[in-house]
Amino acid sequence: MNGQYASLLIALPLISAFFVPVFKGIGKNAVRYFLILVTALQTGIAAWVFKEVYTTGQPIIVIAGGWKPPVGINLYIGHFAALFVLIIAVVSLFMAVFSISAVKTEPIDKYAMLFLLLMLGATGMIATGDIFNLFVFMEITAISAYALTAYNKTGEAAEASMKYIILGGIGSSFFLIGVALIYGSLGTLNMAQIAQLAATMNPTVAQVGLALIIFGLAVEAEIFPLNAWAPDAYQAAPHPITVMFSAFVVKAALYAMARLIYLMSDVGSWNSVLRMLIIMATLTVVVAELAALRQKNVKRMIAYSSIAQVGLIALAFALGTQAGVDAGVFHMINHAVVKALLFLAVGYVAITLGGAEVENFKGLGKKMPRTAFAISIGAIATVGIPLFNVFWSKVRIILATIDVGYTWAAVLVLSASVVEAVYYFRLLHTIWFEGEGEKINESFVIGLMMLFLAALVVVIGVYPDYVWELARKAGEDIFNVTQYVKNVPLMGVGA
Amino acid sequence: MISVYYFGAIALILIGLYAILIKRNLLKILVGLSIMETGVNLLLISIGYVSGKSAPILSEGIGPSQAVDPIPQALVLTAIVIGVATTAMALSVAILIYEKYGTLNVEEIRRLRG
Repeated sequence: MNGQYASLLIALPLISAFFVPVFKGIGKNAVRYFLILVTALQTGIAAWVFKEVYTTGQPIIVIAGGWKPPVGINLYIGHFAALFVLIIAVVSLFMAVFSISAVKTEPIDKYAMLFLLLMLGATGMIATGDIFNLFVFMEITAISAYALTAYNKTGEAAEASMKYIILGGIGSSFFLIGVALIYGSLGTLNMAQIAQLAATMNPTVAQVGLALIIFGLAVEAEIFPLNAWAPDAYQAAPHPITVMFSAFVVKAALYAMARLIYLMSDVGSWNSVLRMLIIMATLTVVVAELAALRQKNVKRMIAYSSIAQVGLIALAFALGTQAGVDAGVFHMINHAVVKALLFLAVGYVAITLGGAEVENFKGLGKKMPRTAFAISIGAIATVGIPLFNVFWSKVRIILATIDVGYTWAAVLVLSASVVEAVYYFRLLHTIWFEGEGEKINESFVIGLMMLFLAALVVVIGVYPDYVWELARKAGEDIFNVTQYVKNVPLMGVGA
Repeated sequence: MISVYYFGAIALILIGLYAILIKRNLLKILVGLSIMETGVNLLLISIGYVSGKSAPILSEGIGPSQAVDPIPQALVLTAIVIGVATTAMALSVAILIYEKYGTLNVEEIRRLRG
């Protein structure tokens, strides 16, 4: 089949978002099922793209309007994009199903629209091959994320959303200044051409531009000190949206960051930018783990833990070696699975028992054994116990860090992991050994989703080789810029 | 070439940043955000500016060589639209905050802590 059909990944959610009001006329539940239908279709397309890219080994390049880049705009769906578009679609499908029981607040049609736009934005950020388009997709993601954070219409939700808007506004301005500096000195916005011309750029301008872009993306990527919005938004947003934030919105920004860093690797002052990011990433891990320790709300606690894992991924990407990037991508996959499981389970508990405070988790092992079991698997995996998936990626990240010579960073990250173990085991103790309760009927469908994710955690943990192979190919897609430039059919203009 | 427009743009960005960081009233912070976005847009447009050339519209006597770079202008249009959307979103959230908290002072809007 023709690779140009991959553009449906962008077109389908966008068109479907417009059709939501039509379905609202049929009935309230029609919107919910329409959401499931669209995300299922998106999953189908993403699976086809994934199969296509991984069997042929060639990236799919979608050229908009028949204009060759750099005059026209292209989408670049390489190994990384194919893998992550699939993850986005699958997580969205699960969350569309979860939304049926999790989101009761009206208006549901607005929720469905924003849900689709959030999915679209993250997909676009990963697939685009043009930095200004990256900005546009980032803003689509950000604005739908602001609105969804405020969706519950409580005071807390409004406050969290406002913090997010202000930080996000500063971030997007910084990003745009960075884009302006790069465009001003290279005269192009196409990623492949930027990589081609990067060596000719003035090192100081490149350094400032890249640093500003990293700061701009750091808001979405939740890297210290620009992550103050994240725990609030995670706590206040509807439960399915929290899962989406953690599982792929952050990942899209991290990917964009890594992609831009490696595109500019020919620039003279490249290493100083990497060093800055390594310091930021290590601080993210340490600060987030310490903050998680004193949380009373479980959803907020896991949000902080999520930020810490993101710091770990950023650290891996900032190492500047193939091993680091591969380990980072591997950790991204594992983290998406584990945090989807954890937030899904915690969200389900919060709906059933009326809140995510620690008190509600007392005796959970007796009240909701299946959900408690899912939380336990997620918690143990996040801590990094062997035979669970996160263990392998954490080990690889730490080995890669030591290889490059940043022993201090590895030591700090490891000691932060000990803190992580403390609060997760405290949570497990609360769940299994404290409090009493009667057994509550658990939803079969949500139990099935949790079972699937938990099984994935264990299977990747026991047989990591297949997923590691996927991650290695995806990592090479980011790291090997020469191949990236070769794949994009550039017209011989500009320069 | 460093032109005087850059200084104007950067001054606007810094004024906006100052307002965001120092002001206590939520509306003033949002005004600061808008000023900052305007500064960024001005910076973008000044990058495409070439002294003595005309707008990039093909008409009598103006060919491609006499016009300024059109791409930054197209980018700024997009950026302005996005900025408007962000501001509208922020203001509607500010209304919600005022309903729930009865104040716009950011020091009193502190229910989420830790």
